[in-house]
Amino acid sequence: MSHKAVAIKPADDPAFQLPASLAGLSLPMIIGGIVALVGGAFFSNSAIGGRFGMSSYLVAYMYCLTLAIGSLFFVLIQHLSRAGWSVVVRRVAELMMIMVIPLALLFIPIAVSAYTGSLYAWSVEGYQADHGIPSVIWEQKELWLNPNWFVVRSLIYLIVWCGIAAWYYRGSQRQDETGEITITENLQARSGPAIIAFSFCTSFAAFDWVMSLAPMWFSTMFGVYIFTGSILSAHCAICLFSFLLQRAGAMRDEVTVEHYHDLGKLIFGFICFWGYISFSQYMLIWYANIPEETHWFYTRSTDGWFNVSVLLMVLHWGLPFAGTMSRHVRRRPWLITCWAAYILVLHLVDLYWIIMPEAGMGLGGATGIIATLICVIGMIALMLGLMLKLAAGTRVVAVRDPRLGESLAFENF
Amino acid sequence: MTESQPKPQTVADDKKVHGVVAEFTDVDSLLAACRRVRDAGYTKADAFTPFPVHGIDTALGIKPTVLPWISLAAGLTGTTIALLMQISLNGQTDLFEGIQYPYIISGKPFISLPAFIPVTFELTILLASFGTFFGMWALNGLPKFSNPMFTSPRFDRATDDTFFLFLDAKDSRFDEAGAKALLGELGGEYVEPVMEDDSSKVIPKGLLIALATVICLSSIPALAVLRMRVTKSGSPRFHIFPDMDFSPSKDAQQTTTLFADGRAMRPDVPGTVRRGEMDWDLNFKTGIDMDELASIDAPRAAQLVAMQSDVAVDDEDEVAPEEAADEEASAEEPAVEEQAAEEDTADEAEPAAAAETADNTPWLTENPLELSDEALARGQQQFNIYCSVCHGMNGRGNGLVNRRAQKILATTWTPPSNMHDPTLYSDVYPDGKLFSTITNGVRKMPGYASQIKAKDRWAIVAYVRALQASQDATLEDVPESQRSGVEKEQAEVQAKLKAAAEAEAAKAAEAANAE
Repeated sequence: MSHKAVAIKPADDPAFQLPASLAGLSLPMIIGGIVALVGGAFFSNSAIGGRFGMSSYLVAYMYCLTLAIGSLFFVLIQHLSRAGWSVVVRRVAELMMIMVIPLALLFIPIAVSAYTGSLYAWSVEGYQADHGIPSVIWEQKELWLNPNWFVVRSLIYLIVWCGIAAWYYRGSQRQDETGEITITENLQARSGPAIIAFSFCTSFAAFDWVMSLAPMWFSTMFGVYIFTGSILSAHCAICLFSFLLQRAGAMRDEVTVEHYHDLGKLIFGFICFWGYISFSQYMLIWYANIPEETHWFYTRSTDGWFNVSVLLMVLHWGLPFAGTMSRHVRRRPWLITCWAAYILVLHLVDLYWIIMPEAGMGLGGATGIIATLICVIGMIALMLGLMLKLAAGTRVVAVRDPRLGESLAFENF
Repeated sequence: MTESQPKPQTVADDKKVHGVVAEFTDVDSLLAACRRVRDAGYTKADAFTPFPVHGIDTALGIKPTVLPWISLAAGLTGTTIALLMQISLNGQTDLFEGIQYPYIISGKPFISLPAFIPVTFELTILLASFGTFFGMWALNGLPKFSNPMFTSPRFDRATDDTFFLFLDAKDSRFDEAGAKALLGELGGEYVEPVMEDDSSKVIPKGLLIALATVICLSSIPALAVLRMRVTKSGSPRFHIFPDMDFSPSKDAQQTTTLFADGRAMRPDVPGTVRRGEMDWDLNFKTGIDMDELASIDAPRAAQLVAMQSDVAVDDEDEVAPEEAADEEASAEEPAVEEQAAEEDTADEAEPAAAAETADNTPWLTENPLELSDEALARGQQQFNIYCSVCHGMNGRGNGLVNRRAQKILATTWTPPSNMHDPTLYSDVYPDGKLFSTITNGVRKMPGYASQIKAKDRWAIVAYVRALQASQDATLEDVPESQRSGVEKEQAEVQAKLKAAAEAEAAKAAEAANAE
């Protein structure tokens, strides 16, 4: 396309290495993260109560997981569409997606809670009797929602995600050494089936891990709803991390205004998609007005949750929609990064709004919110620490990707 | 640069010069030339390349397009139109007087935003796309069937391996010799003038005929539809959704073989109480002081008790020895009719039913509901949903249904009562009686017991009283603090009326003078 070829730096150029200032943060972050996560979960458990404590943990878990699987989807879709523009930022996404492996270990508390009944209402003894659910319905529900089958399914999702992530990560790493074009061709060839497996796992995991918090409620759109949040926040995180890496001194010449512009376009698009999906889910349920479907939104339109719902509408959709609409905003890296950070915060509010009402403690008060925040920050710090550790041992750009030159020279027309 | 030449320039063979074009062999020299032309002050210049060249916009000094703003404006127009259209079609705006039709659908509010969003969204997208598409046409000067550039025989290579830089004769700085010199100086090869396309602008006859044929052919489907609307067909209609057209579920008033009584609509099972209706306050449910009724007309009281409480009274059997049991056997409906008939006698003094008794029912004279702004607002809402269609929003008996009935001269139509008739005031028509009328119906009006909860019916009664009061209110009814405002408004209205009357008189006088 372009008339000007951009010189590719040698693979061992310092621009591709993680800056030492960031690498040094790795260990303190891991330790601090674990302390905050355990401390936050403990604080939440003791100060407010069992279900709220586990829900805080689930919020933190889902926040990091959505970022990881959103990045996984980003990598898959770039290979599927044979995209050239994204090569310089793909490694950042790859580092995030590989975090599904530690996250798979962090799933253990949730798996245990399915047996102890401390998180999911359906796993509590006597739930059916307490809520007067006819046994005909409950028998059908139990075929799906029972601890053993729940854990088996969760394992399947985690194995599929980890398998895909590990395979794509390894392929990309191997290419750093060998520069084989066949590796890219291979990754592309498998991206179609991988994306199908990914979609099923993501949708069902959303049903199982989040939607089943309200076991009698169902919405076929819910899987897509969680997916939109993850892909939106993943784009924001890629934008944010690229910006921070550049500020720290890595890949200064590689990531340009053009890449931020494209990330900005995708962020803008997925803000619309989030609004579209969440409104569609609401509209269908609101209009049909069927009792067994409305209670989920009823909970969220009473008490303090109503205010959160309205705020989400304005702050998660309206404001960033208007804010990222302009090309001038998207072509200013620091500005679009500010919006990305802002949306990452709102994504947390979104997850809080999805998960916490089912804990039955209202908004949770200042204590609940702080406890959840500590949990989330701990989980993020842990993930960041692991990511930095991994990044220190590799490069922050896929240095021998056959499309690197195309990506470097990429210009929006 | 300051010399001014007559333009457009003409050459010997009388063809107009469209501009000057130069060829370049590579992108870099073209870009350099573009920059120089831009810096020389040319604004109407264009470059033609075999492939997109990044940065050529800035090199030529082409400003960023205004198309996004056109899209935004069109999109916002769509949003506005969609919202205004839906709100006005729901009769909730004075923007379009004359098509007001406030009608509550599915119990949803008039301005029900969630329901409006899909249409709003679609119209926003539609107009934004149209704005973008046709805005792009307008900005590009499309449709354009020919470009004078095509008169240059060398120009074909613009799609292959040659780059062209073109200076338009319409540019204010253009003069042919100067432009040629500039382009030559910039390294352009084969600098030459481009002539205006002088081929005939007459549209070929064949094309016109083809166009006419297409228009004629496209009217065939419409004609076919029109024909089908006025002819009869022997074959049955094609059903796209047969299961929706022939639903196995029964409609109201249909018969069924499933039940012995043949009714598809099932009455309540005796002895059942609907959820949240376990309410034994009979005064509240009938609008009658039951204790007093029992003392003056025990059988009727027993009958009413039986109607309201079904089996429960059967067991106790205190107030109703035998009649109640008899009435029970013949189910509720006759009782309802009887009561309705009784009200007719009181109201209209129908001779047939008058035989029985005058209305000595001890109606409740006071609304048992605790009166509050909230209850009145509820009453207003319910009145507007259920009553206003016949009685009108202001209760004057001129609702939409009544207007329609008058318009089509419906023969069996009994006009609804005017709530502001003195015979319906609380001193002659007690609250309890009004409640009973809403519950059981009167004349053409059906009973609303099954549709409106008792509490809401009392709220409607309260609202009707408020409506009545509002029509006869005097200044003394207004709180001191607000009187001055009302007086001011009154004065304004009177001034307006006066002005209108004077204008009318002046007009009449003028008309008389003219004659």
